[in-house]
Amino acid sequence: MAGVDSAPATPYDSTGKKGLVVTGLLFRRLRDLIIILLVVGTMMFFIIRLIPGDPAVAILGANPQPQELANLRDALGLDGSLLQQYFAWLGQVVTGNLGQSITHHDSVLSVIGRHIAPTLTLAVLSTSISFCIAVAITTWNTVRPRGILSRMVNQMAPLGMAIPDFWSSLMFILIFALTLRWLPSSGYTNLFSDPIGAIPGLVLPVTALVIGQSALYTLVLRESVLSELSHAYLRTARNKGLSESQVAIRHVLPNALMPILTIVGTNFAVLVGGIVIIESIFVIPGLGSLLLGAIHTRDFPLIQGITLFVALLFVLVNLIVDLSYTLIDPKVRVS
Amino acid sequence: MTSPVLEPVAELAAPSRGSLSHRLRRAVRRNRVLTVGTLLLGLIVVMVIVLPFFLPSSTATDPANRLLAPSGEHLLGTDLYGRDVLSRLVEGGRASLGMAVLITLCAGTAGMMIGMISGYFRAADAILMRVMDAWMAFPGIILATALAVAFGASMWTVLTALSVIFTPFVARVIRSRVLGVATKSFIEAARVSGMGRWKILFVHIFPNVLPLAVVQVIILAAAAMLIDGALSFLGLGIAPPTPTWGNMIAEGRAYMHDAPWLVIVPGLAIIMCVYLFNLVGASLRLVVDPRSRTLSELQRLRARGQGPRRRQANDADGAEPRTGELKQPAEPIDERI
Repeated sequence: MAGVDSAPATPYDSTGKKGLVVTGLLFRRLRDLIIILLVVGTMMFFIIRLIPGDPAVAILGANPQPQELANLRDALGLDGSLLQQYFAWLGQVVTGNLGQSITHHDSVLSVIGRHIAPTLTLAVLSTSISFCIAVAITTWNTVRPRGILSRMVNQMAPLGMAIPDFWSSLMFILIFALTLRWLPSSGYTNLFSDPIGAIPGLVLPVTALVIGQSALYTLVLRESVLSELSHAYLRTARNKGLSESQVAIRHVLPNALMPILTIVGTNFAVLVGGIVIIESIFVIPGLGSLLLGAIHTRDFPLIQGITLFVALLFVLVNLIVDLSYTLIDPKVRVS
Repeated sequence: MTSPVLEPVAELAAPSRGSLSHRLRRAVRRNRVLTVGTLLLGLIVVMVIVLPFFLPSSTATDPANRLLAPSGEHLLGTDLYGRDVLSRLVEGGRASLGMAVLITLCAGTAGMMIGMISGYFRAADAILMRVMDAWMAFPGIILATALAVAFGASMWTVLTALSVIFTPFVARVIRSRVLGVATKSFIEAARVSGMGRWKILFVHIFPNVLPLAVVQVIILAAAAMLIDGALSFLGLGIAPPTPTWGNMIAEGRAYMHDAPWLVIVPGLAIIMCVYLFNLVGASLRLVVDPRSRTLSELQRLRARGQGPRRRQANDADGAEPRTGELKQPAEPIDERI
């Protein structure tokens, strides 16, 4: 990476130690993963058990068939003492068995597997587009801090963060689908089986997700650039004859990009929330629609499974963020 | 993490000094954004509290006059049942703003306690912060939906879910500030004089982290409004007929093509409040957080054209740089939402 050699002096690690650093990181992330899944899973476990009365009755409604009731109790693991139930459930989860979905008559894991593609498509597309927008805007902003565009962006970014994505989705549908009839208001085509046909259906949902995300990234990147600009090494760069835009593009931006990675990680939960709503508005058959459906049908094993799965994704995303830190920036110490 | 050693540099580098109340007063005088933002936000709160006494009832249905466009009689039109949209908007503001305030109060208090204990008692830190990380992994919307399914959608389930979700965001920020404050010499002095650890925590550390907590809570209020709106929109928050801005949008959705104001108006209300919360929070952060103050000063200078190049010229003359206060407290960016 361009700017690293001129970064503020830090004791440099020999590349030989990198392997060790990454192993330590993996180990700690694995430990975090277990803690997070345990906390999240336990929380979900007890939420279900806290339902007043018999959860099986609550799920099936009044006057259930006795056989049905017994089956459901069995499926939910409601026999035995609370502690017995807890450890039985824990043992199941550890072996990767998330149980059977009540409404889909299939294992929770395979139901999730069938619905994961649209959600990942939305998440990856919107995050990478927002990332590019933020970098482009900030590059321009750094090179021309007094330009009209820069000033406009400074005012617009906080506004972008204030727009609820469900509202902007509805506005897009109203304008581009109902009034202008340019784009479909719902429906989803698999991006991998039909890349061209999938685009019209993806434009509106992805744009709705991009507004808030790109605003957030732009704000974070701007702050990061400002703090990078005050480092002394830039004086060296300027004194050796680099122009202001060369300094910005070759030194400031590469170094300033780091915090965005962190934000991508911590923003994950917000992104998932956004995707759940966007999927329900645009009728996209992803994990969000699956979750909302599971809530309506009170399919507890499925709700529990999706929750654990999302927590797992969160940890993985943050692991990737951390790993990319150690790969991109040699001065990052695992502390 | 904060690098406590550099804290004094930040203090020195701060372009304005003086006590917090002094800085606050000066900020109000100088910072028009903060003043205008706070006034507007205050105005909205007063309107939401007072207007229902003067407007037509928000529950009175009038089927003959349903889906009327905005007019002199109904300033923002009427909805599906002929109810006045303006009345419902104001009434919904009570629920939406009230929820945001309640959530931030709960999350702010819990986060403050956890952050202070975690930052000061190193033994508790490892466990508490791991649990906080786990909480942050939990998308608020999923916890809220789980609670709503288990106990029925209501104000309480949303309040519980969102307070739990937002607590770690406050706790992390407070913790990093406590880590910095705890190394200051006045804390050392208090300890040497025989003050108990809990007393030090509440008498000396609490007042030092309170301003930052307030700022964090205001920014949280913005996030809380957005998520609360989303939950009401999904029908997992406060249920109709009680209006909230979120469920008004959900109700208007089916008639969007014929009566777009049903969706546009409550959406604009959410945007305005969230924007104002963010604006006020960001401007207040400049008052209490030396680091963001330095950054904003730098931003202003760059925008005015007294960027690094000028400073460099000054350096070359051997003179003290005029804008030399802008030395960077080299804290890495972290612990922010």
